[in-house]
Amino acid sequence: MTVTDLEIGSDRQTPVVKGGGRPKRRARLLPGGLRWILPAFAISVGLIYYSIIYSGYLSFFSWPGGRALMTPVGFGNYISALADPVLWTSLRNTIIYFVVVFIVQVAGGTLFAAAMHSKIRFANLYKVLVVIPVVVAPATLAPAHVEVWQSDGTVNSILGFFGLSALQQPWIGQSTTSLLVVTLVGCWDAIGYGFILIYAGMAQIDPELIEAGRLDGAGNFRVLFSIVLPTLRPIIVSLAILNFITALKLFDSPWLITQGGPAHSSEFLGTMIYAETASSDRNLGYASALSILVLIIAIAVSVFMQLRGRERLTRTKPRRKEAADV
Amino acid sequence: MMRTRFISAAAVAAAAALAITGCTGSSGDQASDVKPATSGSVTWWGWTPDTPVAEKYIAEFNKEYPDITVTYKNFENVDYRNTITPALDSGKGPDVFDLSPAGGSPDLWGPYALDLTSLAKDTLGDGWKDQIGGSYVKQLTSSDGRFVSLPLGGMSAGFLWYNKDILDKAGAKVPTDYNSWVDTCKKVTAIGKTCFTMGAGGTDTFPTEMYHSIANTVDPDFFIKAATGKAKWNDEQGQKVLEIIKKMKDDGIIPPNALDGPQYPLANNEFMKGDAAMVQMGFWYTQYAGAESCKASMEAAGVSNPTCFVQLPAQFPDVAGEGHKSTYFGEADYGLAINSESKNIGAAKTFVSWMTMNKTGQQNVANALDLLPALKGTTPDWSNITLVDEAVQRPAIETLIKESGETTESRQWQTTQKSLDAIVVAIQQVLDPSVNKSIKSIADDQQASSEASKVGTK
Repeated sequence: MTVTDLEIGSDRQTPVVKGGGRPKRRARLLPGGLRWILPAFAISVGLIYYSIIYSGYLSFFSWPGGRALMTPVGFGNYISALADPVLWTSLRNTIIYFVVVFIVQVAGGTLFAAAMHSKIRFANLYKVLVVIPVVVAPATLAPAHVEVWQSDGTVNSILGFFGLSALQQPWIGQSTTSLLVVTLVGCWDAIGYGFILIYAGMAQIDPELIEAGRLDGAGNFRVLFSIVLPTLRPIIVSLAILNFITALKLFDSPWLITQGGPAHSSEFLGTMIYAETASSDRNLGYASALSILVLIIAIAVSVFMQLRGRERLTRTKPRRKEAADV
Repeated sequence: MMRTRFISAAAVAAAAALAITGCTGSSGDQASDVKPATSGSVTWWGWTPDTPVAEKYIAEFNKEYPDITVTYKNFENVDYRNTITPALDSGKGPDVFDLSPAGGSPDLWGPYALDLTSLAKDTLGDGWKDQIGGSYVKQLTSSDGRFVSLPLGGMSAGFLWYNKDILDKAGAKVPTDYNSWVDTCKKVTAIGKTCFTMGAGGTDTFPTEMYHSIANTVDPDFFIKAATGKAKWNDEQGQKVLEIIKKMKDDGIIPPNALDGPQYPLANNEFMKGDAAMVQMGFWYTQYAGAESCKASMEAAGVSNPTCFVQLPAQFPDVAGEGHKSTYFGEADYGLAINSESKNIGAAKTFVSWMTMNKTGQQNVANALDLLPALKGTTPDWSNITLVDEAVQRPAIETLIKESGETTESRQWQTTQKSLDAIVVAIQQVLDPSVNKSIKSIADDQQASSEASKVGTK
C-alpha cells in the first residue's frame, strides 16, 4: 500500500525530459521516498509490532521482570488464564460495557446530531457541552465521578432530597452496581464521540433524498430509520468496532473509580493486566498471555464486524439498483 | 581489500562492545571493594519516605558530608515498581534505591544490588548482625544468601489509632473487647461522628491488617500458619475471622462506606479531618502525633487552618473474646540498596552507611517517628520532638515503641501477594451487601486463590 502510494507520488515528481527523452528511472526515486516514511515505519514496526511479538514470547514464561530467572511454562499462562474465573468476569463485563455503551452512544449521538441539524437556538453551545466529556482526560474526571457515586455522594443526596432514601445504595461499594457506575461513566464519555461522527455523517446526506422521502409522505421517524440510519451504517459499524476495542482495553475509568472491585465485580481485561504488572510479585508472563488473548479477541471481532458490514453492503446494493430501475 | 575492511570493522565493533560493557559499571565484586568516599553525588529513588522527610535526612547528612550531593526522587508505590526495573536494566537507574522485604523484593531487585555484608561488617564490626534490630537482616537477604539492602528502620502494625478529643466529647472509652467497641461506636455516632473508618475497596492490601489482628484474637498462630501453608484459610479459625468481620459490619463498627475506596485516601482523610474517632494504621502513623506533621497531614486531607487533635495508639480489641491479646506484627519497612552498576559507589556507600548504621543518621530516623530505627538502642530524642500533647502522647508512644520492638510476627514478609489479594477479596465479599455467599463458601474461595509462602519457613 505504502509503496504504491510512493510510486505514484514519485511519478508525479518526475520531470519530463524535453524532446521526448525517457524519464528518470523510478528505482532511484524509491529510496528517497522510503526515507520520508522511515520514522513512522520504524516506530510502528520497531515499537508496536516488536512489543506484540515480545509479549507473545514472554507469555510462555513465568517471569517477574528484570534479572530474575525466566522459567519456561509452555502454554501454562494461557491455561491458567482460561481457568481463572476473574478472566471470565472481565470478559462478561467487557461485553456488557460494549453493548450498553454502543447502544447509548448511537442512540444519544443520533439524537443530539439530529437536534443540532434542525434549527435550534444555542446549537453551538449544546455542541460544546456534548463534546466536552470527550476531550477531558478520564483521570481528571474520575475523582468527580467518585464524589458523585460514593455512599455520601451526590446521587444519594439527590435521592434523599426527593424522599427516595430507599433507593440509596453504596453504588461503588457493591458488586451489583459497581459495573453500572463504570458503564454509565463510559456512556457519558461516549455520546460526544458518537455525536461528532454521526453529525458529520448526517451532513453528507443529500438533502434531496430527504426531500424526496418527505414528498412521499415520510414522517420524521420514517426519514430517520429509512434514510438517515441506513446511510450512516458505515459510521455505525466503525463505532461498533472502535467501541469494542475500547471496551477490550478499558483501563482508566474502572481503575480510577473502583480499581476493578469490589471483589473483581467491575474488573476488565485492562485492569486485570495492569494488576498483574503492578503488584509486588509481578508476573509479566501471565500479563503477556492476557495481552495476547486481548489481541486475538480484538482482531477476531474486528474481522467479523468488517465482514458482516461488507455482506450487508453487498446485499443492499442490488436492492438499491432495483429501486433505481423502477 | 574488502576482507581487510571487514576485519577492521569487526575489530572496531568488538572494541566498542567491550568499551560499552566496561562503561556500564563495575562488576559486583569490584564494586564491593570500592571504599566509601567523602565527595561525589548520589541519586536515591524510593516510594518512602515522603520528600520533606527525605530532605531533612539529607540536610543532616550534609552537615557531616557537605561534599556529597544527594538527590531524592519519590514515587507512588506502583509507579516505583514499574519504573525501577527498567531503569536498573538500562543502566540509568539510581545509585541508591529502596528495597523492602515484601513480595520477594530481595530476589527481584537483589540481582541489581551490591552485597552489603562487607560494608556492614566494616562499619559495625564482626557482631554487626546483633546490632541490627528484629529479623531485618534475614528479611533483606536474597534466597542466594546476599544481604542486598541495609535496613533504615522497621515498622509494626496491628493496633488502632484514636482521636482522644472525639472520644472525650462522646464520653466514650477506648474499646478493649467486642462489646465495649459496640458501646463506644454508639456513643460516637450519637455525636455525629464516624466511629471507626476503614477503606477496604480497591486492590490495596491494607484490609489484611484488620484480618491479621482479628485472627490474632481468634488464634495467635493461625495467620502465619495459613500464610505458610501449615493451616488453611478456610479452617475453622479462618471462617471465624470472616464471621467477626461480618458481625462488625452488622453492628455498626465497620462503616457502610468501607468499600467506597482504599484505606488511602478514604480512611486516612476521614481520620485526619477529625470526622472519625478510630482508624487502623501502623507505626508510621506515629509521625502525625507531632505538632507540625499533624498540621501538614490534616491540610493534605483537605482541612484549612487545622487545629491538631490528640491521637493515640490503642491495642486492637479482643473481638473474638478468647482472651488472646492481639499481638503486633511487623518487619523491616525498607532498606537502602546500592546499585551495583552505579558510577558513584563510594559516595553511595557513605550515604547508606550513615543513614542506616550511623548513630546520628539513625537518630534522625527515630526523631521522625515514622520508623523504628534499625540500629538497636536508638530511641527518639524527645528534646527535639514537639508533640500535640506531650504529657498524654509521649508515654503512649514510648510503650508502642517498646512493644513494637518485641514483635516477632511478620506482617507481609511471609505472606504471598496472592494470599494477600485473596484476603482482600474475601473481606470485600463479606462487607458487600449484595453478595449472598455463605462465610464458608467465601473462605473456600479464599483458600483456593491463595498461595502458601516458603519465606522464612526453613
